[in-house]
Amino acid sequence: MLRRALICLFALLPFAAARADSGPAPAEIKIGHLHASSGAYASISMPVYTALKMWVDQTNASGGAFVKAYNKKIPLKLISYDDQSSTATAATLYNQLITQDKVDMLVSDSGSVLTSVAVPIAKEHKMFLFDPTGTGAPFFVDNPYIALIADPVSTIWPKYIADFLNDDGVKAGIKRVAILYSTNDFTGTQANAVRGFIKNAGKLDIVYDQGVPTNTSNYTVLINNIAAANPDAVITLGYTGNDIAFLRNLQDSGQKFRFLFSIYPGIETATLLKNVGADGLNGLFTYVTSAAYEYKPEVGMNLEQFREAFEKVGPASGVEFGFNAIAGYTVALVLQETLAHADALDQESLKKAVFGLSGKLKTLDGTFELDEHGAQIGEITPLGQIHKDGKNVKLTVVYPHELATGQADLSGK
Amino acid sequence: MLIGAVLSGLIFGLYFTLVGLGLNLVFGVMRIVNLAHGDFLMLGAFAAFWAFHLFGLHPLVAAAAVLVVFVVIGLPLYYLVVPRLQQARDAEMLSIILFFGLAQMIEAATTIAFGTSERSIPGRVLGTGPVMLLGQRLPSAWVFGAAVSAVAVAGVYLYLYQTRLGRLTRAVMVSRDEALATGIDVHRVSAIAFGIGIGLAGIAGVFAPFMLGSVTPAIGPEINVAAFAVIVVGTLGNPLGTVLGGIVYGVSLMLMQTYLSSWANLLPNLLLIAVLLTRPEGLLGRKVRRA
Repeated sequence: MLRRALICLFALLPFAAARADSGPAPAEIKIGHLHASSGAYASISMPVYTALKMWVDQTNASGGAFVKAYNKKIPLKLISYDDQSSTATAATLYNQLITQDKVDMLVSDSGSVLTSVAVPIAKEHKMFLFDPTGTGAPFFVDNPYIALIADPVSTIWPKYIADFLNDDGVKAGIKRVAILYSTNDFTGTQANAVRGFIKNAGKLDIVYDQGVPTNTSNYTVLINNIAAANPDAVITLGYTGNDIAFLRNLQDSGQKFRFLFSIYPGIETATLLKNVGADGLNGLFTYVTSAAYEYKPEVGMNLEQFREAFEKVGPASGVEFGFNAIAGYTVALVLQETLAHADALDQESLKKAVFGLSGKLKTLDGTFELDEHGAQIGEITPLGQIHKDGKNVKLTVVYPHELATGQADLSGK
Repeated sequence: MLIGAVLSGLIFGLYFTLVGLGLNLVFGVMRIVNLAHGDFLMLGAFAAFWAFHLFGLHPLVAAAAVLVVFVVIGLPLYYLVVPRLQQARDAEMLSIILFFGLAQMIEAATTIAFGTSERSIPGRVLGTGPVMLLGQRLPSAWVFGAAVSAVAVAGVYLYLYQTRLGRLTRAVMVSRDEALATGIDVHRVSAIAFGIGIGLAGIAGVFAPFMLGSVTPAIGPEINVAAFAVIVVGTLGNPLGTVLGGIVYGVSLMLMQTYLSSWANLLPNLLLIAVLLTRPEGLLGRKVRRA
C-alpha cells in the first residue's frame, strides 16, 4: 500500500512542480506599451497603438488570450502611456511600466527614435522587449532582450534598392547616385547600408551624400544642390513629414530625376497621397510593404479583413490605415502566439517562445523570422514603383525579379 | 550654390518674419511671452486646410478671414488673461507658464479633434511650376508667402506709424506706466495689439502648409523656437526689427543646409546664444527697440 502511494506521489511530482513554478493564474496579463498621441512620431505611433488596442478589446470580448502556462484564457490589460514623442518622457514611462506597473510583456513605442530609449532600460531590467518598428541596427548588438517584430532591420531594408540600381539601373544607363537622409537611427542606418552596398558593388558613383536633421521641413535648397550634382538616381531616406516636404518641394521646383526613391509613399500611402497628390507620387520608387502586397496569413486576419476591422476604429480617432496599423496588428499576433506557446510568463520563457515562432509564424505581414540577435529578417520589403491611376495610385513590385508584378520605368516622368 | 542659398534664404526668411512678427508685437506692447504663438499659427494652418478642402477657399481669402476671426478671438482672450497676469510681480515669467499651459491645451484639443496625421494644401493653388529669379528656381508658394509677409510688415508699419491707435501703441511700448499716467486706455490699446499679434500668427499659419510641407497639431513648439530666434536676433520688442531677424535666420538656415546640412537644426539655438552673448539688445539695438 505504502509502495503504491509512493509511486503515485513520484508520478504526480513533475505536475506539482510545474504548478509550483507557474503559481496561481494571474487575473490578467499586463501588456505595457507607450504611444505618442502628439509630436513628431504621432503619425507612425498612433496606428500601432490603435491596432494593438483593437486586438486587446477583441481578445477580451472572447474571454481573453489563451495562456499555455496556465492552460486557460486570461484577460489582457493594456497599459499604454503617452510619451508625446519625447524620448525623455518615454524613458521615465518605460521605467514606470517595468518597476511600478510590473507589466508581464513590454512593447516599445514605434520607430527607432522612441525605441532607442527603451532598449537600454529593458536590458538593464532583464525585460524582454517586443520592438514593433524600431529597426536601428545598434539595438541588436550585444542585447539578448529584444526582438524586432514587424519591420526588417534597417540594414537589410535598402538591399533591394542597391541591388536594383547595381543590376537593372546600370543596364539602363544609371551611373550617378545622390543620397539624402535624415540623421536618426532608422534612416541613418539605412543610409549607411545602401552606401555600403553601392560602394561594394563598385558600379555606381555617389555624387551627393548628405544628412539633414529629422525635423527638416524645407528641401528647396537641398533639391537645387542635389540637381547641381547631376545624379541619375536620388535616394531620400526620411520620416513621413520629411517625405511630404521633399516631394512637395520637388514638385514646386520642377526638377526631375530618372530614379527617385522615398520610403513612406509605400508605407503610409494614404497620407502621402493626400498631401502630395497622385501627380507628385507618379513614377516614384518606394518600399512595398504588406499594406500593398498580400501575404497569405496562417494566423490572424488577412489584409482585407484587417483593413475592414481597422477602418471601424481608426478613423474615429483620426488614425488612417497604413503599414503601421499592420505593424501594430503583427505585434498583437506575436504577443498572442507567445502567450500560447510560452511555458511560463517569466522573461526567459517569453523570449524562448518568441524565438520559437521564428520562421514558423506567417501573418499578413509575411513570415516572422528572427536572426540570432533578435533582428527581423523575414518580413522583407521589395522595391516597388508607384503609378498614377486617376486620382489614386497603384504600386507595382519591380524588384527582386521573382516577386515582380511589373517592369520598372526609368524615364523619370 | 551660394547664390541659390542666399536667395532662397531671403525669401524663406521673409516668411519667418511673418512668423515672428505677432510674437514680437505682443512682447513689445505687453512685455509678456506668448508661448502659445506657435499653436495659434497651427490653428491658422488648420483653418486654411479646412477652408480649402470644405469650401475650396483660396489661401489668400482664408488669410483675410483668419485675420478677422483671430483678432476677434484675441480681444476677449486678452481681457481674460493679460490684465490679471500683469498684476503679478513677475508677469513676464508667469506669462511663460500660463501660455505654455494654453499651448498644451490647444495642441491636445486639436489632436483630439483632427488626429495626428500630416495635412497640407496642394501647392498648385498658389501657382504651378517654379519662379525663376536670378537664374534660381524658387517655389511659387514661397514667393507668395514672402509677398504676404511683406504686405503684413507694411501693414504693421502703417498701423504703428500712420494711425492714432498706432501712436498710442508705441507710447505703451515705450512706457506702460507713463502711458497710463497720460490717460491712454492701455488695456484697449494692448487688447488690439494682442488681437493683431494672434491674427498675424494665424496668417503665417495659412501659408505654413506650403512653407513647411505639411502641418500637424504638434508643430507649435518648433515654430516657437524659430520665432524666438528671429525676434531676439532682430531685437526683442521691436516688431520691425523682426524683418532683419527673419532674413538673418532664413539666409543662415539655407547656408547651413548647403554647407553643414547635418547641423542645420542647431541654427536657431546658435543664433540665440550668439546674439545674447555679443549683442543682447538685438542687432538693431535699444534705440529702435524703444520705438
